[in-house]
Amino acid sequence: MIESLKTDLTQWEIGPYDHSLPGPMLLRLRLDGELIVAGEVETGFLHRGLEKAFERQLWRSAIPYADRLDPEGAVFGELALCLAAEEIAALEVPSRAQSIRVILSELTRISAHMGYIVRVARAVGSETMVHYVLRDREKILDLFELATGARVSLNFLRFGGVQADVTEGFIERVLEICELLRIRLKEYNDLFTYNHAFIKRTRGIGTIAPEVARTFGVTGPNARASGISFDVRKEHPYSGYDFLDFEVPIGRRESQHLGDANHRFLLRLQEISTSIEILKQSAEAISPGPFALRKPEESFEVPRGEAYIRIESSRGLLGCHLVSDGGAYPARIQFRPPSLALLSVLPQLVRGIRIEDLPVVLATLDIGIAEADR
Amino acid sequence: MNAQAMWLNPWISGLSFAESVPQWLLTACGLVLVYCLVIVPSGAVMGYLERKLSADFQARVGPNRAGPAGVLQPVADLLKLLQKQAAGDWNWREAIWLLVHTMALYSTVAVIPLGSLLLLVDTDMSAFLPFWSALVLALGTMFLGLSQGSVPGWFGGIRVAAQALAGAFPALIALLCAGIRAGGFRWSEIAAAQSSSPLLWTAAANPFQFIAFFVFVISGLVLLGIPPMDAAFSAPDIHGGVASHLSGRKLTVFRLGRFYCFLLWSVIAVVLFLGGWALPFGLSTELRNADNPRLLQVLELCWLLAKTFLLVLVVTWIAKVNPRSRVDQVTDFAWRVLSPFSLFALIGASLVAGWGAL
Amino acid sequence: MTGGPPMMRGSVFSTILGYLRDVLWGIRSVWGSCLTAIPYLFGSGELSKEVTEQYPDPISSKIADDLPPRSRGFLVNDIERCTGCKECERQCPVQCICVEAEPATDDTKIWVSVFDIDFSKCVFCGICAEVCQPASLKHTKNFEGAVYELPELVASFGRGWVTPEQRLKWAKLRQQIEDDRVTL
Repeated sequence: MIESLKTDLTQWEIGPYDHSLPGPMLLRLRLDGELIVAGEVETGFLHRGLEKAFERQLWRSAIPYADRLDPEGAVFGELALCLAAEEIAALEVPSRAQSIRVILSELTRISAHMGYIVRVARAVGSETMVHYVLRDREKILDLFELATGARVSLNFLRFGGVQADVTEGFIERVLEICELLRIRLKEYNDLFTYNHAFIKRTRGIGTIAPEVARTFGVTGPNARASGISFDVRKEHPYSGYDFLDFEVPIGRRESQHLGDANHRFLLRLQEISTSIEILKQSAEAISPGPFALRKPEESFEVPRGEAYIRIESSRGLLGCHLVSDGGAYPARIQFRPPSLALLSVLPQLVRGIRIEDLPVVLATLDIGIAEADR
Repeated sequence: MNAQAMWLNPWISGLSFAESVPQWLLTACGLVLVYCLVIVPSGAVMGYLERKLSADFQARVGPNRAGPAGVLQPVADLLKLLQKQAAGDWNWREAIWLLVHTMALYSTVAVIPLGSLLLLVDTDMSAFLPFWSALVLALGTMFLGLSQGSVPGWFGGIRVAAQALAGAFPALIALLCAGIRAGGFRWSEIAAAQSSSPLLWTAAANPFQFIAFFVFVISGLVLLGIPPMDAAFSAPDIHGGVASHLSGRKLTVFRLGRFYCFLLWSVIAVVLFLGGWALPFGLSTELRNADNPRLLQVLELCWLLAKTFLLVLVVTWIAKVNPRSRVDQVTDFAWRVLSPFSLFALIGASLVAGWGAL
Repeated sequence: MTGGPPMMRGSVFSTILGYLRDVLWGIRSVWGSCLTAIPYLFGSGELSKEVTEQYPDPISSKIADDLPPRSRGFLVNDIERCTGCKECERQCPVQCICVEAEPATDDTKIWVSVFDIDFSKCVFCGICAEVCQPASLKHTKNFEGAVYELPELVASFGRGWVTPEQRLKWAKLRQQIEDDRVTL
């Protein structure tokens, strides 16, 4: 056996299908014992030609496609498309519709962050947390079904508003869920935030330094965990966020290991808390009125023009560049997904960590392969 | 030596052929019976309990289709695994693993203490034998891991070896603590030093023994790679490590071995520290005086297994709720926390024992 | 031990104290996490109830009636009200609806000969039901549609291709209506 003992660097390929990866992607690693010396990322396995598919759809029929840009945060894709089209067409959105959009966005953000907690819990090895979180996420999905008829791919936003008014009892349910989630957040803290084993698994792992985040264009909770104070809801407010009063959680500069996996996880727990605040404010301040300024059955065509919209999705800054030539179909749409920056910073992050830290790093980064590959 | 078959005597005393059967045959039958009636069903029950318990923690239902409340689930799993197509021939390293695995684990069937009359091998070193077999088993598992030509197998094997070495030292020292109080390492001596009341259990005798109990259980988890210290067999990063390429019959043998290890260590822990098989309220002595060995054997076995399952429940609970530690954190923990505590407990226990002798 | 508070002094005593504090903190945090599982195991609250829907066991599984009224299940078309305008076919994002219609006796009556929805392609987005002017195409709440053969997933609501006898009858009816109008 001595002659077959390998002492040089080991090559290992993970993927494209592996349960520790966030989606279909290939990771080529060179290992020195259990330490990763170098890593290469190959993506494109989930390329569906989504942006081209938009060019074949009527304007309203393009909204279900925007849902499927990032299946975990369906509303964000819809919102980006609708805001871009409304900017080109100079459509005004009534305030009730804006409140409904904000409510749906924040609910989606909470649901996406819960999915994130599930992935981190699986990577770290605690199966119990997975089920606790999924159980609460079911309540949010049931709420979506109550309002829109579907649990994940809502297809609810339309140009100029939303498809229908929310049903009776929806607002009360939203406030109930806010209360419930506040209690459950405490439980998640008990289970993970203060847990010694979890802290040891995530502290100091996969640290993104603020300069690195700026260089690669990392945005969203990952950048805020590194101390960069940038939230699109505050910098370029949209859909009524400027009338809401909320604090965006940011990693404190004086803490050790700023930008490590632990900070990324904790920041998302705090973001759930912020979203609960926004939900309560929107639900209480929702004003009666029309839910759209146009009848949903009417056909709609966006006049000639182009627009670039930025929104804050659960993963970061989602950009949507929409070009219209006045026809029945979009001329070109291009999305700027926040996960693409994370994929480019990944080779740098995996250098120097151990194999066992790799699922933790991948899970805490919250990479969405569906939106990165489109 | 005669104790090997003595436990069978109450059951076969009435049969006519009992006199003509040679001793070694009786011993062999005894071993096989213990294996089939106690070890394998316990493994099945533990597998079922683990799934039902984790389902209870997680607000799920767990197996409930195979048999009433899913009790036949282990049978269904076993049948499913056995009917799978064999993945390939056995190479020489896997053959070594199977040999070592069988020898190391199933030889402990002879040593496992299951009752005052069910002690098959009760020598001066009985308490150490399962411990050595755990170390040998780690060697065999390392061979299995290195036999697979892929990264998960290699790393699984190396992690198994690292954890075994790290966990062996504190486990041994904690074992010594229990023996110090009992004055020897015979099962019967250790059992005699504790009796039925929980206040006389080894773990409750003095704080040093209490620490030794905890160190013993936790270092057993490290030594054998049982969750939450199962970095050697973890799924997310190395796809099960050593077991990543096993399927069908090999996987059955492997899994049975893992369940059995856990059970073995829990039984040893209960016998050493939690009073063993001594029935409460002095029932043991009553039944012995009433000369009812069959009832005594069965009751003691049930009581021992009940305590063992309680220990298994607590360990499973901690394992399911808490995250898994990284392998270098596990070995770090074993060398920097468990070992000093075990030495501290040993020194303290020796002092207490020596004080008593003064 | 990594992850503990930073050392204040390098003295042996404070090192040992820090070490013991780490161990204690570790034990306490692990125990605290274990305690969160207690309400799930024992207790009568909402947490200890199982979440599993044991489909298709009627104990705990949802049926179509339990779903909210807007749930987008399988589509049905009321062929009596359908005007054959083909708007649903036009707007469907995946082009899973196939409509063929022609005028029957007069222009107010439309014979929808073919109205096929291929549910293997349908994404249940609801746009077809939204744009249906006569409100004949609707979502039901039914979600159970598993079949053994793929062609069985195509639901046909059409009345069937027009037969030559029907065309003759229509021609006669049309002639009659024309004659009635002329005589009036």
